[in-house]
Amino acid sequence: MRYIGKKFVTMLITILLVSFFVFVAFAVIPGDPALSKLGTEATYEKLEALREEMGLNEPLLKRYGTWIVGFFTGDMGTSYSYDMPVKDMILDKLPITITLTVMSFLMIVAVSIPLGIYTAKHQGKAADKTIFVLNQIVMAIPPFFSGILITLLFGLVFKLFTPGGFVSYTKSIPDFLAYMVFPCIAVALPKIAMTVKLLRTSLVDESKKDYVRTAYSKGNDKNGVFFGHMLKNAMIPVITFLGMILADIAAGSIIIEQVFNIPGLGRILLTSISNRDYPVVQAIIVWLGIFVIVINFCVDLLYKVVDPRMR
Amino acid sequence: MTIKKKPNYNFIIGSILTGLIVALALVSLVYTPYDPDAMDAANKFAGISLKHPMGCDNFGRDIFSRVMEGTKNTLFVALGTVAIGTVFGILLGAFTGYFGGILDEILMRINDAIFAFPSILLALVIVSLLGSGKYNVMIALGIAFIPSFARIVRAEFLKNRELDYVKSARLMGAGSLRIMFVHILPNTFSVLASSVMIGFNNAVLAEAGMSFLGIGVQPPDASLGRMLSEAQTYLFSTPSYAFFPGLVIILMVLGFSLLSEGISQKSV
Repeated sequence: MRYIGKKFVTMLITILLVSFFVFVAFAVIPGDPALSKLGTEATYEKLEALREEMGLNEPLLKRYGTWIVGFFTGDMGTSYSYDMPVKDMILDKLPITITLTVMSFLMIVAVSIPLGIYTAKHQGKAADKTIFVLNQIVMAIPPFFSGILITLLFGLVFKLFTPGGFVSYTKSIPDFLAYMVFPCIAVALPKIAMTVKLLRTSLVDESKKDYVRTAYSKGNDKNGVFFGHMLKNAMIPVITFLGMILADIAAGSIIIEQVFNIPGLGRILLTSISNRDYPVVQAIIVWLGIFVIVINFCVDLLYKVVDPRMR
Repeated sequence: MTIKKKPNYNFIIGSILTGLIVALALVSLVYTPYDPDAMDAANKFAGISLKHPMGCDNFGRDIFSRVMEGTKNTLFVALGTVAIGTVFGILLGAFTGYFGGILDEILMRINDAIFAFPSILLALVIVSLLGSGKYNVMIALGIAFIPSFARIVRAEFLKNRELDYVKSARLMGAGSLRIMFVHILPNTFSVLASSVMIGFNNAVLAEAGMSFLGIGVQPPDASLGRMLSEAQTYLFSTPSYAFFPGLVIILMVLGFSLLSEGISQKSV
């Protein structure tokens, strides 16, 4: 319990630190938000009034306080360019990005773990070597290129889906999920290759350890040793890696959304960056940051379950 | 007893691929078959031919010339990124690892927080602060890469500072800076070389991704990532437009990752 409590406090501090850094970064950049909002209609009086209204005349720390309290109570500010609450802009896009992340993560786990076990068990055989070479190549294909290849092959040649024909989850959930399958494959492919490789190396390293020999000499059969002893230990580095991957695909979804024309969080983030619509950028970045930090917290907890030796 | 040495295929293939790509980029400095930006309406979407080995794009520009130019730009950004990451990473890792103490604690906490952040996200924040463009992407990715280098260098310094050769150097009156950069640093090169190659691998992927999103290299400059995103519109009619830039990215990434594995295999 003390371990969990300590990790939890560290998590909260990190979240506050990250949000503070992001806030300060966007507060100190040159450019006056009030001026850019008013544009050509700016007069001195109007500008001052708007600055006062937006709270820009307050000291930085106080502004951060108001912003972070608002942030967690659901008021994330107003978009400069669309003049609507940031919360509304983000909220209905969120399920899209979450689906993309979770679905590809499930694919990664479902494919890579059995494949990793298989290659480790058939170490040195033809199947292992073939998978090794395939892995090296697949790892080098960036998701945006595999996305393009998938569009070409499955969308245009085999016509399994309509490229660019995104269906929103509000209209039809099955159609939405069906469209998301291919983007998820593009995201998952290189990560599957990396996880298979890591799990294989980890299992092979583990199989050389003394406790494995002892377990065999006590009369356990091959599968008993493999699944009862080795797999658990070999999974420790893989769990760390999967945690990193989850954070990575959430961030990487920005690119894949662009390839498959999916109007998710990444799309708003990119338009907001080019419009210099800072409240939106700030909110999305901090949310993604919180997501990453929470994932890391969960990974730490999982460690404790898999390996009680962890301090 | 003779030890039969298995050839280091990773290193060999990696060197060949990387060598070819670097050669392609270097040649593009002095010679490209066509002007990469020259438009030629008569050759719009021209197919693969002897005159245009990779065909032409929607403006009739020679894709092969643009791929050469794009390879150069991608490598240039990757070089800058890795340079920023290694130099600052070495400085940070060397001081925190060698001296330890409270400074080490604070810097490493910050380092961990940044490290946990996906680098593309961090780079996006920095680009949205600085504005897009080749040099800003370089700075953004460079900053995003510092923590991973710092971490590796720090671990090496922690390990080395307790070793006898450092102690004897100290006894002979060598100053801390001399010990750090003349004695310890060269001993970290084999580890560092492998992570520099991984750095290149990631930098190429990140740069191509940023350019794909339109915030990296700006037009009319050619960039592999941007070519891919432009090619998407003409995917069905001219798949070769997307195919070649993508292929070069893959070969580049493959080369660097094999090289990195080869180097760490060698030093074992």
